[in-house]
Amino acid sequence: MKICKVLKPLVSTNRIAGFGHKHLQVVQDGSAQLVAVDAVGSVPGDWVICVGSSAAREAAGSKEYPSDLTIVGIIDDWDPDAER
Amino acid sequence: MEINQVVGTLYCTERIEGLRHCSLQILKDRKGNLLVATDPVGVRPGNWVFTVSGSAGRLAMDDPKTMTDLAIGGIIDFWQPKQVAKPDSSSGDEQPTEQRDQAA
Repeated sequence: MKICKVLKPLVSTNRIAGFGHKHLQVVQDGSAQLVAVDAVGSVPGDWVICVGSSAAREAAGSKEYPSDLTIVGIIDDWDPDAER
Repeated sequence: MEINQVVGTLYCTERIEGLRHCSLQILKDRKGNLLVATDPVGVRPGNWVFTVSGSAGRLAMDDPKTMTDLAIGGIIDFWQPKQVAKPDSSSGDEQPTEQRDQAA
């Protein structure tokens, strides 16, 4: 799973029906900007955990949900620059 | 799911039965590499789209038996591509690149 930062919502009116009404968020993973389905209701600026592959589909709703990256948790507090 | 830009349509008459009659689009990703994705939405060249990869890409298609690993999920209403961060840039690159160059 990845630790990402939520940048802003992604608005896409013309999209496939499979996504239904779920919110999409633009998240930043290092220098890459990705799009994740928001299953927990995060706001821009949050540090979140994103899950990929088939787990992303179950986390987003059902086995047939067409997502390959889903936000599954909001981290309480996270310091990106602290050395682990 | 990544954000890509549509370059144009890929015409491919000789194809396996699994690809059926899907329209194939050529996409350009962040680093400039070209990808091919199946298109259930109906995009035009120049559109910024987000794509679904892996087995979820098959579910994004109308017929989940379509043999694709990358499908277009939808057209982004408004997208401002930021300049590609240089590989040696620090992790947080919110500040504009010019300002960081003087500091380096």
